[in-house]
Amino acid sequence: MKHKSVAITITSGKGGVGKSTTVASVGLGLAQLGKKVCVMDTDIGLRKLDLMLGLENRIVYDLVDVIEGTAKLRQALVRHKEFPELALLPAAQTRYKEEVLPSQVKDLVNELREEFDYILIDSPAGIEGGFRTAIAPADRAILVVNPEIPSVRDSDRVIGLLESAHLDQIDLVVNRVQPGMVKGGEMLSVERVQSHLAINLLGVVPEDRRIIRSSNTGEPVILDDKSTAGRAFNHIARRINGEDVPFMELEETSLISRIKRIFHIA
Amino acid sequence: MAFLNMFGKEKERPTAETADDRLALVLSYQRSDIDERKLKEFQSRLVELCNDFGYDVVGQVEVRPQSQKRNNMTVLNASIPVRIRTEAKEDDPTVKSAGLT
Repeated sequence: MKHKSVAITITSGKGGVGKSTTVASVGLGLAQLGKKVCVMDTDIGLRKLDLMLGLENRIVYDLVDVIEGTAKLRQALVRHKEFPELALLPAAQTRYKEEVLPSQVKDLVNELREEFDYILIDSPAGIEGGFRTAIAPADRAILVVNPEIPSVRDSDRVIGLLESAHLDQIDLVVNRVQPGMVKGGEMLSVERVQSHLAINLLGVVPEDRRIIRSSNTGEPVILDDKSTAGRAFNHIARRINGEDVPFMELEETSLISRIKRIFHIA
Repeated sequence: MAFLNMFGKEKERPTAETADDRLALVLSYQRSDIDERKLKEFQSRLVELCNDFGYDVVGQVEVRPQSQKRNNMTVLNASIPVRIRTEAKEDDPTVKSAGLT
């Protein structure tokens, strides 16, 4: 029987919303569930997934080397030491996105499908060539959105592009949610974002200062027991794997908001 | 003087009251893909049309495209503050035939 593999592109339109953070943590989450996962960085010239996973010192070859035939695919894959089920296919840092064609990435992903259960493709920001290359091999897409108007507007445009590329399964991850701000009417609620974008909600990730620590140490936040964002990413990984995981209640965590709540000010 | 002007400076009117309304508006514009120049022309034609029907436009004409979903269907909502032109009543054939003059 042919191995069933799923290629998922993680995209957003706007940059800096947490795509690579999502790929690193969800990739590790799926590996923790015993799945064979390849996380692939297609942000050629601006790679960051290696840093998120703490694998930057072990890169010898990259995606462009494999496409050009300078290296074999297995030579370019960097296995995670602690979680060998997870492998990274890094992007080239000193090349340009235009050097890679969508059909070449599609062929590469087809080769990866023989070994891996999940291939998570980290898309570059924007809707130009790099984005089109990243969505070409995908079976489904995850759209990472911040609850703010510029991010939602870009995402709406991206959904239109994904639909015109016949990518019908598009899931939503709302990242960096601050319940206190939502309650105060300063931030869009997850419900409103989902209602405007009209796609399936896969996960809600709260704003978490521990993510900054995580990207600086190279240890994905999903491995941090104290992180609520880490817990949210774990839930997302389990939902991708078919589990029915309820959405967690997000609570405001700042000291001021807790004091306000005690005195019934807000 | 510049310091004093700072207080008197007119602030840009927000396009919507809440973030949610603003997002709805922003998405509507994006989804309807309407050319700003065309929209302005449409607004001035509406003013002419009001004039032909005996209305004076007394405020800002607003045309807001509204697209609920990404289905290429747009509803244009026009808000035109008008006042009925009184002197037009004498020339109006409907008023004449009713013997009201």
